[in-house]
Amino acid sequence: MPGAQCHAVRVAVTGTDVRRLRDRLAVAGPWRLWTDDIPGAATGPIAVRRRASELRRPVRGDARCVLLRYEDGTADLVVVAHRDRLDGPGLHHLVAVLTGERPPSPAPHPAAPRAGLPPVAAAPDWGGGDPSSTAHAACHVDLPLPHATAPAALRLPALAVTLARYDGHGATAAATVGTDDRGAREYALPASATLRDLAATEPAHTAHGVVAGILEADPGPPADERLPCLAPPFPLTFVFSPLPDGATRLSCHFRLSHVAPAVAEGFTRHLAQVYRQAVLAPDTAVADVELLDRDERDRVARLGRPAAGPARTPDTLPRAFARVAAAAPDAIALCDGGTELSYRELDERSARIAAGLRARGVRRGDRVGVCLERSAELVVTLLGVVRAGASYVPADPAYPTDRLAHTVADAGLRVVVTRLAEFPREGGAVPLTPDELTAPASTERAGTAEDGPEEPEEPSGPPAPDDPAYVIYTSGSTGRPKGVTVPHRNVVALIDATRDEYGLGPDDTWTLFHSAAFDFSVWEIWGCLLTGGRLVVVPYAVTRDPDDFRDLLLARRVTVLSQTPSAFSQLLRTDHTGLPVQLVVFGGEPLDSRMLLPWFDRHPETTCRTVNMFGITETTVHVTAQTVTRELALAGSRSVGPALPGRHLYVTDERGRLVPPGVTGEIRVGGAGVAAGYLNRPELTAERFLPDPYAPDARALTYRSGDLGRMRTDGRLEHLGRIDSQVKIRGFRIEPDEIRAVLLEDPAVTAAAVVVHRDDPTDPATARLDAYVVPAGGTAADLQGLRKRAAGILPEHMVPATVTALDALPLTPNGKLDATQLPAPVRSSSSARPAPEPDGTGDTALAGALREIWETVLGTPVGLDDDFFELGGNSLFAVRISAALRARGLKPVPLRDLFRTPTIRELTT
Amino acid sequence: MRLTGKTVVVTGAARGLGRATAEACAAEGADLALLDLCDDLPGVPYPLGTAGQLEHTAELCRKAGSAVLTARCDVRDLRSVEEAVALAEERFGALDGVVNNAGIAAPSGRPAHEIGEEEWALMIDVDLSGAWRMIRSVGGAMSARRSGSIVNIASTAGLVGYRHFAGYVAAKHGLIGLTRAAALDYAPRKVRVNAVCPGSVRDDPTAEGRMLAEIARALDVPVSEHEQEFVAAQPMNALIEPADVAAAVVYLLSDDARQVTGTTLTVDGGFSAR
Repeated sequence: MPGAQCHAVRVAVTGTDVRRLRDRLAVAGPWRLWTDDIPGAATGPIAVRRRASELRRPVRGDARCVLLRYEDGTADLVVVAHRDRLDGPGLHHLVAVLTGERPPSPAPHPAAPRAGLPPVAAAPDWGGGDPSSTAHAACHVDLPLPHATAPAALRLPALAVTLARYDGHGATAAATVGTDDRGAREYALPASATLRDLAATEPAHTAHGVVAGILEADPGPPADERLPCLAPPFPLTFVFSPLPDGATRLSCHFRLSHVAPAVAEGFTRHLAQVYRQAVLAPDTAVADVELLDRDERDRVARLGRPAAGPARTPDTLPRAFARVAAAAPDAIALCDGGTELSYRELDERSARIAAGLRARGVRRGDRVGVCLERSAELVVTLLGVVRAGASYVPADPAYPTDRLAHTVADAGLRVVVTRLAEFPREGGAVPLTPDELTAPASTERAGTAEDGPEEPEEPSGPPAPDDPAYVIYTSGSTGRPKGVTVPHRNVVALIDATRDEYGLGPDDTWTLFHSAAFDFSVWEIWGCLLTGGRLVVVPYAVTRDPDDFRDLLLARRVTVLSQTPSAFSQLLRTDHTGLPVQLVVFGGEPLDSRMLLPWFDRHPETTCRTVNMFGITETTVHVTAQTVTRELALAGSRSVGPALPGRHLYVTDERGRLVPPGVTGEIRVGGAGVAAGYLNRPELTAERFLPDPYAPDARALTYRSGDLGRMRTDGRLEHLGRIDSQVKIRGFRIEPDEIRAVLLEDPAVTAAAVVVHRDDPTDPATARLDAYVVPAGGTAADLQGLRKRAAGILPEHMVPATVTALDALPLTPNGKLDATQLPAPVRSSSSARPAPEPDGTGDTALAGALREIWETVLGTPVGLDDDFFELGGNSLFAVRISAALRARGLKPVPLRDLFRTPTIRELTT
Repeated sequence: MRLTGKTVVVTGAARGLGRATAEACAAEGADLALLDLCDDLPGVPYPLGTAGQLEHTAELCRKAGSAVLTARCDVRDLRSVEEAVALAEERFGALDGVVNNAGIAAPSGRPAHEIGEEEWALMIDVDLSGAWRMIRSVGGAMSARRSGSIVNIASTAGLVGYRHFAGYVAAKHGLIGLTRAAALDYAPRKVRVNAVCPGSVRDDPTAEGRMLAEIARALDVPVSEHEQEFVAAQPMNALIEPADVAAAVVYLLSDDARQVTGTTLTVDGGFSAR
């Protein structure tokens, strides 16, 4: 940048005898004196502007002296010089000669030649810079430290420590800092080293690019104005200089291409804070240095807490529902195929379920399993369970028996409402159908439905807001799913936080698209029923068929649609013109907002609002909300928005300290959504649910999400993925360690690893789980058998697509799995078997067409006996295959047929 | 303000379009190096700009807040041009824009075979080669900084012929050719070269322009008759104002035009649209 190597001073001068000034200057050096007569007084607008521009005008050559004379008789002398010719003492000398403080003599050259400026590094991801900007700006912080005596040797170490913190979660313990005369230097920052240690070591030279550096402000001449540089030589250039009272000013000159002003201002405050610690407590260990002082912590904490929503009294689902039902009892609450239930009917039927449960001994605080397909009966049952004062524990009927059994045992379920004939009965669980529950024998104590849904007297009383409403099981790092207990008040608060903003009300029609075992359904069911809307049950088969789903949205006039981005991308492949949807809520997995452009083409933001919500089961579905606009989609924004009213966001480092805006850290969530904890896992609960130091209520908790994020200076959160290996595939949260644990249970396996792979990084549908196993000594690997056994234990979305045998797992020096060294997975098709018959021998016409389509969709050669799922197939690919078959006028293959007969030969015979 | 922080050199800045351009640049925040011959030229049948007129232009710009350097410069003399550029660079550090405005309209008014050798050479020397000398003097430094905008004041006489103005027409056609070639030379270095082609510009009294009057005199017609003829020839039924031309120059100097190079921006009330 021009001017990066120049410095400048302005001094007011009196008695502007130009001839004498010229004579003095002629002795000091070969420079011309420029004189400018400025219209107006020294305080006038033109004078102000001219002084600023003269001070910031780089020199051609090595120095320039300009005398600005004002109409009020005053004058300023502005001297701009290149540091290579005139350093601080040289500039001081020249000014002293010009002002007559010193007898005329030549201005000295610098004592030692200066190293060239180090290269500039790329813009840091925490900077929020504008790459197209060429401008720069400045800010400063004043420190109550004596400039003359505070050790200058601590400045570079302080900058190195601050910079390393900004590099964020898991960054290496080193930082490169720039100096104006000694090039770039790299500090090693071991956690236990003290700031004093760092100051005592000479950091190594490095050729690395520099983001931040310190300009050692030479002891320049006393001046009315002084610029240590005309443009920042480093993207963040810091200067320590004395204030008139002897204290220290820390100035920051920064390039807008690399850092946004708010980030630069924050960085400057944090560097000041670190420098202060270095001076006052030089024996502080690097790891113990605090970047933020108390005020700063409060400021950052406030960023993650938007203005509180309307204060509402904590409430329960039954009470909130009762109010809605009483307001419009004849409004339709539920649609399921040909069945329609009004709010009154839903009220009555759920009362019968509640009564039936009580008759079976269910009491307030109990847990009741619910394992039903998406149906009206499911919703009636869930409402019935909470009305009975119990919490519901949903399980998907499609889950393998093993997983259902685990849920029953872990939650200690005595009653499970299900229609599965083969529901596991371990541990004394009693499976009951809804019909059995509401049979006259079990409801006689509840009175008759026609008399109205009177709640019978119950010794333990109705549920309280803090009572659990549901327990939803999620993947856990310990290898088995864990139950998250969520109180009533959390769910009611979620709806309260969104009702007004999104205009949710009786005119809305919602879908129930998701399994009750996935907490997105909590939002769908209670979001609808607590705002008086109409809930349309989407049968499982329809959720898997985008054309049928589109038809349902049209036929039912759905206005509020909740989708995972993966599912929505399938809907986008259909002709979605004319859908009456007015609000789309995304959740469950990261949204690439660019995928919404085709949606916006047909559904402008003025007719349909699309909102990306980030959340976690442990924080009651949603935490943040970002309305996605075409503008944001075009920019590929990663913002998931600010916290919903009543919810708090914190981003912290490994030690739980708040990190500054822009810096990557772990997302923590506090406020109204934090769950009560994990069921029967006090240690895990204590580890993940921690006190909220910033909440007024001392009992308030935050949940450590294990997700990486960045708080922006405007309070919006950027979500950057999981810290550990946990991932989501098609909306399902998957813990590879959980799958690994299942593989390791097989005696034929001694070591295992599970990784997620995307053939096409831009296409979430190609996400696939690949397993690697080391077989036990001497045994031949029966990989197919291993996969089949795993499929008997794991839900479909967690079964690895491939299993590859290895002699040993590649490890990093730290002994962790080195996923980058894993070989390409062995697919059972082309590599393990002879190539498919190239001439298509044995193909019927249908088999030939299927082969072509499978090969196109799966991107791999396909033999007639290749297993669809072993080739990497999944439900999304199945949908694409069905679409391709329809396009050729052929009959689509339903997903359930594929499960039963996953090869082309079986499908076509 | 579209030219804040930029320094612009204007040749022929004493009066007329030069003064109007300097004022427009000052109003947009530019600092200015104002150059003029400040002398009459043997062979040119009318008085040229004076030192007093140049200082008046400078004063107008200073009042608008610009830092202004004035210097004499003879665009027929490469050394004179180089010295003026060096002085401007010493004062301002770097030059961001150059407006090649210096030019003469006469001697003219005769068919081609009646033009004398010296008359021909003078016209080409000032109106065409003068711009080249300035480009030669600033092109290197602008290339090195990968930034700069050069605007050549051509004319509709650079687009079409005018009877009895062969020298002027040839010089202005040549200037457009120079504009296009130089634009290609410097495009990879992000230095832009464009031309502005004014139609018939009114001799604004405060700008002290006298071009139209001198052309009328060269053609031996009364000024009012000549004006009427051009008003009729320009479909918008008006003469061009100096500020209209200056506005086009400011656009080409500004970053708004950062992808505009090698073009001719015509300001002629529709004259060349026919």
